[in-house]
Amino acid sequence: MGDGLFERLKTAIVEGDDEESTAIAGEIVQEPSEVVGAVEVAIQAIREVGDRFGEGEIFLPEMMLAAEAMQAFMTEVGPELEKAGGQARASGKIVLGTVQGDIHTIGKDITATMLSASGFEVTDMGVDVSPMEMIQAAEKGGAQIIGLSALMTTSMPYQKEVVDLLNELKSRDDFYVIVGGGPLTAEYAQGIGANGWARNAAGAVRLCERLLRAAEAPSTATFVAEEK
Amino acid sequence: MTIDRDRVLAVLDKAHSGPVYKERDFNLKVVSRVLNETVKKYGLANTCDPDNPISADDELADRYYQAGMEAAVKIGLMCRDTNRVIQFSEEEIQVALEQAPQEFWLGEGDQRVCYQHRDPEDPVLPVWTVPLSIAVTEDVFLPLVEGLARIPEVDALEGPSLETIWGRPLRSGSPYELLAGRHQADLMREAIHRAGRDGMPMDAVGSSTTHYGVLGGYGVPGGYRPHHDLVLILSIADFWTSYESLFKLAHTCNCGGKYISASSWCMLGGYPGGPEGTAVACVAYGLLMVAAYQGARSGVPPFDIKYMGNCGRRAQWALGVSNQALSRNTQIVVHSINNQVAGPGTKMVLYETLVGMTNMAVSGVSNVVGTRSAGGRRTNYLSPLEHKFGGEVFKGAAGMSREQANEIVKQILPKYEDQLKDQPDGLSFQECYDVERLEPTPEWQRMYDEVKEEASQLGFPFK
Repeated sequence: MGDGLFERLKTAIVEGDDEESTAIAGEIVQEPSEVVGAVEVAIQAIREVGDRFGEGEIFLPEMMLAAEAMQAFMTEVGPELEKAGGQARASGKIVLGTVQGDIHTIGKDITATMLSASGFEVTDMGVDVSPMEMIQAAEKGGAQIIGLSALMTTSMPYQKEVVDLLNELKSRDDFYVIVGGGPLTAEYAQGIGANGWARNAAGAVRLCERLLRAAEAPSTATFVAEEK
Repeated sequence: MTIDRDRVLAVLDKAHSGPVYKERDFNLKVVSRVLNETVKKYGLANTCDPDNPISADDELADRYYQAGMEAAVKIGLMCRDTNRVIQFSEEEIQVALEQAPQEFWLGEGDQRVCYQHRDPEDPVLPVWTVPLSIAVTEDVFLPLVEGLARIPEVDALEGPSLETIWGRPLRSGSPYELLAGRHQADLMREAIHRAGRDGMPMDAVGSSTTHYGVLGGYGVPGGYRPHHDLVLILSIADFWTSYESLFKLAHTCNCGGKYISASSWCMLGGYPGGPEGTAVACVAYGLLMVAAYQGARSGVPPFDIKYMGNCGRRAQWALGVSNQALSRNTQIVVHSINNQVAGPGTKMVLYETLVGMTNMAVSGVSNVVGTRSAGGRRTNYLSPLEHKFGGEVFKGAAGMSREQANEIVKQILPKYEDQLKDQPDGLSFQECYDVERLEPTPEWQRMYDEVKEEASQLGFPFK
């Protein structure tokens, strides 16, 4: 146990080997005192993967496999981590999808992967998701954040519709709403009443962390824009 | 020849009988894996040369074509609505390539335009279609399109995209789109008339990327013309299709339509991986565009997810080599797109245009649609002047050697590449133009003059 195993864990995550990360998790849960340290190593490893993706050193398939290896590890060690007083999930819950009338997927996929890799529990609703489906999924899953992707100017109105529906349902304070996608700007996002906008997936992770850290009520929260 | 119904039915049948995959498995176990294996098999690893963004290596282009053909056969097109892969044999792709036109005419009267196959370094002038489907407000639509149609270097029109119709938001997949398809045809024709270019060819439908816009605007009385205009089928990136695209195909067939523009994207840094995998993917997906959609003009450019454009070195390299692969090894009308990230009223958008349009002109591209002013991020952020420059460059570079083009591009790239991730939005149409007189502001005109002079000093042969 210790450094050797931690090194193997880091390698397994960086190389996207979910069988190895699961096997290592099995060894680690035999030594509950090591669980918290192992999770820290795993989080550090997945952040390195995210950084390398952001720099264009690795590509989406490698990052997705790394996220899956991380997820497999966390699933195994989660119960032991909770017993040890740690959080199985470091961050928060987000429901993410591409809005109604839009079937573009890659931006949403990258964002889901990076959020998941950063410790968020992500419910990926897929593409062409109606405003009410998004809201109901967020309610059902106990999410704090609803993330809405749009790649077409003609699908952007559905992002506003989610905010409008939450207002009309008097549920606006139940969820932060964040938006992203190629044709969007921060000004547009603020104009429709979203809580935040990010230019890219790495920015979306920082955006979610900032919103949850600030812990302001969604209806009155300061708008957050992540430009980089 | 009109769209062949038997081939449409064959594609629909394949979409309902091909092998089933889950989304993740198709992306990772088919697309990503096949491209990785193909890059290795054909010795393409590390062939990207960022120091020389325009390759002049014919043998390399031909290897990319062979790799692309193999990848097309092994990957196919995943249909989102059926979760089945539409697969084609090499023989089927070859037959489709042979049936695709080497040249065709669109438009009417003195505005007819010939789209024809070009080889790398071909002196034949390519066709310049403007603008991309960037959102504009209703008050801007007519003057902007009139300004674009007045540009002599512009041959055909596609966008822009209406943000609202009669004051209502244009919602994707809704009945508003059906109305918008026809409404856009009316507005485009009015703008063309004001510009004195009645009969100019158009792409249907600029405002709407779902099938409802095409159903509402193409082949209906007063709408887009089946024998004179193109139907746009923009498939989902990285080997995906959907009923949406197949509806457009079937509708074109029903209308007795002749010409389809079949295109998509391959995401550099996404499932295809690095520039080599992406270049193979662009060739493969381009071939599938012809086989699946009977594309009269077809092509799939790369798109770098690091900065959401394709004017950086790696994307330009992949853009050039994949277009050379298709133009050298087929007789199809190759279509491509330049994705700038800077906006009007900046020198950067002109530098990006100079690099991308030069590359495509010398790499055998027959038709480009542009400009992606301000990356398409902002409403009303496009103006006629960067489109005029795009046409001057695209046509000016026809006949230039790839070596000479590469030397010019190498001088221009350092002027903007450090800003690819820190993108200047520039100015809106109303800010950089006198909208009534349709003239650029003196400052915007000065930038254009200076960049044109810089290019001329480097030996760029403006015609």
